[in-house]
Amino acid sequence: MNGYGGQILRVNLTTGKIIKEKTSPEVARDFVGGRGFGAYYLFKEVPKGADSLGPENKLIISTGPLSGLMIPGAGKCDWTTKSPLTGGYASASLGGHFTAEMKYAGLDTIILEGISPKPVYLFIDDNKIELRDASDLWGKGTFEVEKQFKDKLGEEFQIAVIGPGGENLVTFASINHDYGRQAGRGGVGAVMGSKKVKAIVVHGTKSVAVADLKTYREAGMALYKACKEAEGLKEWTRYGTTIVTSWCNEVGALPTRNFSAGSFELGDNISGKTMREKIVITDKGCFGCPCPCGKYSRSKKHNLEVEGPEYETIGLLGSNLGIGDIDDVAKGNLLCDDLGIDTISAGGVVGWAMECTEKGILSKKDTDGIELKFGNAEAAFKFFEKIAHREGFGDLLAEGVRRAASEVGKGSEKFAIHIKGMEQSAYATHAATAMLLSYMTCDVGAHHNRSWAITYDLQVGREKVVPEKVARVIWLQNFRPMFDVLGGCRLQWVELSIDRDLYVPALEAITGIKRTWEDLEKVGERIWNLTRMYWARENEGFDRVWDMPPSRFYEEPPKTGATKDMITKLDDVQRLLDIYYEQRGWSNEGLPAPETLDRLGITTLVA
Amino acid sequence: MATKLRVLGPLQDYVGGRKELDIEPGHTVRDTLVSLGILPEAVALVSVNEELQAKDYIIQEGDTIRIMAVIGGG
Repeated sequence: MNGYGGQILRVNLTTGKIIKEKTSPEVARDFVGGRGFGAYYLFKEVPKGADSLGPENKLIISTGPLSGLMIPGAGKCDWTTKSPLTGGYASASLGGHFTAEMKYAGLDTIILEGISPKPVYLFIDDNKIELRDASDLWGKGTFEVEKQFKDKLGEEFQIAVIGPGGENLVTFASINHDYGRQAGRGGVGAVMGSKKVKAIVVHGTKSVAVADLKTYREAGMALYKACKEAEGLKEWTRYGTTIVTSWCNEVGALPTRNFSAGSFELGDNISGKTMREKIVITDKGCFGCPCPCGKYSRSKKHNLEVEGPEYETIGLLGSNLGIGDIDDVAKGNLLCDDLGIDTISAGGVVGWAMECTEKGILSKKDTDGIELKFGNAEAAFKFFEKIAHREGFGDLLAEGVRRAASEVGKGSEKFAIHIKGMEQSAYATHAATAMLLSYMTCDVGAHHNRSWAITYDLQVGREKVVPEKVARVIWLQNFRPMFDVLGGCRLQWVELSIDRDLYVPALEAITGIKRTWEDLEKVGERIWNLTRMYWARENEGFDRVWDMPPSRFYEEPPKTGATKDMITKLDDVQRLLDIYYEQRGWSNEGLPAPETLDRLGITTLVA
Repeated sequence: MATKLRVLGPLQDYVGGRKELDIEPGHTVRDTLVSLGILPEAVALVSVNEELQAKDYIIQEGDTIRIMAVIGGG
């Protein structure tokens, strides 16, 4: 199969049996790779009602046909599982250099199943594949473990590792790689921890067959040339995702004090410009990337070095906690990465607890003698540790904001900022209806990466609820995740405005299969509907209520900032869903209609 | 010395599809955007001679200013 490693590695941790299967040409035709493979195998192989932290759940790691090849940003793989945070579909994208080595080891997919009786790591060096004892690594932070492997095995081995967060089954535990890259969301790290897998180390030397070598080289070089000549490349490389921080603050989209507002009075202290001037020491990119968004920073205040922080972390660990010091954000970033917990969800649960304290729902007595007030960076640091180790009140926060609020009650559920159980990422959506709808309908919960529509809101009118806006969200949801399917990075298209048609000849030359973007968007739509059916299968009574946002975004207009007194009306929220379901070909309760499933060719799969 | 505004991506829709305009120094970026009919809030990035600047920046003679709308966040 041109463009593919050709093999699935199936690792049964209960029995220790490791087998290889051939990648299915039929599955590759219909689901292409990456996120598509993950969604397919999750639906097909993980039984209905499986405990997300039990032996029946699987962790599915997949590359795509672009992965590891000479295409800008082709260093992405997808980690899919049943989420312990949400109870639904989880899919996290990982950058860095892991993906390329996995592909060079001939692997399109790794499926971890069962539970090991003792801590292990999965060792892959081309055809030498073993489960090895990891008892001496259990309990250690991600940085120390990665360094140990690098020192022992050499720089060419790539490491994906969980920290104490994953070991202790924190529902939003992440998987760390390359010291600063994560498969971050949905608790993929907890699933790896439940299987007692501390790390995967991989190195490969095999070549990847392509259908038309000459055209592949030409098409790949055309993409690199377009990136290098893109206007804005210098700015993007200089600031990475932090380029957006000031703008979000200006337009009221920067999450502030648990999303109670969208503008932060100390926003300038955590802006991309301030960060670059104050702490950034160099840039850091993923495999094959000509426009590295990673920033490597040194904080003199805290005497540390860290990759980041990037925008999402600044939003959730900075303004959302009332913290207006980029050095403090950098320290929070470092702690979360080393402990192996997702910075977005960590900022969500701690922000909620801070608001509970502010409102008198929680006192110091409830929070282990620590005053969890907005702006108290030291308290936040302590709770990142407590969450990862499930100590004291941290044990409840480790369950995620939905369960924590349900336990604490007293009205705190109203400001638990999540959708489907996933804490919202870093865009405040009091007055941005396309972005609000993007979060409401995202296939993993309140995450931004499928449909990032906030600038579109500003361009066409942030309060408008019109079919064109909904159509834009749906198009983004079908199209953008295709980069995760193909095994590449979307940021070259998003940030540098690279013509997406340049990818078409490259993909054809690699796989030998002609696909237009229209064809690929249909694959995206197929996956979107399959994951929707997964939510419905796993959650009794799944309906439109699951798509509703936190009431804060339709009942509580911010009292300060750019969106002061602005709010989306509840009727408009419902209208957004009505239009969305109709355009998707779904019922009024948000379930794909039989003819929609039939049109997408997944009727039999979901039966 | 020419003072230029480079308009990237969908912001070109505000200025009849033009990619580059000559502008007057001495005004803030925000005022210049408004005078050109560009919604300031739709501009996510203002870069002056490749350095990030606020919209309150007062344009100097010879500056090359780039404005962008589409930024992906993370």
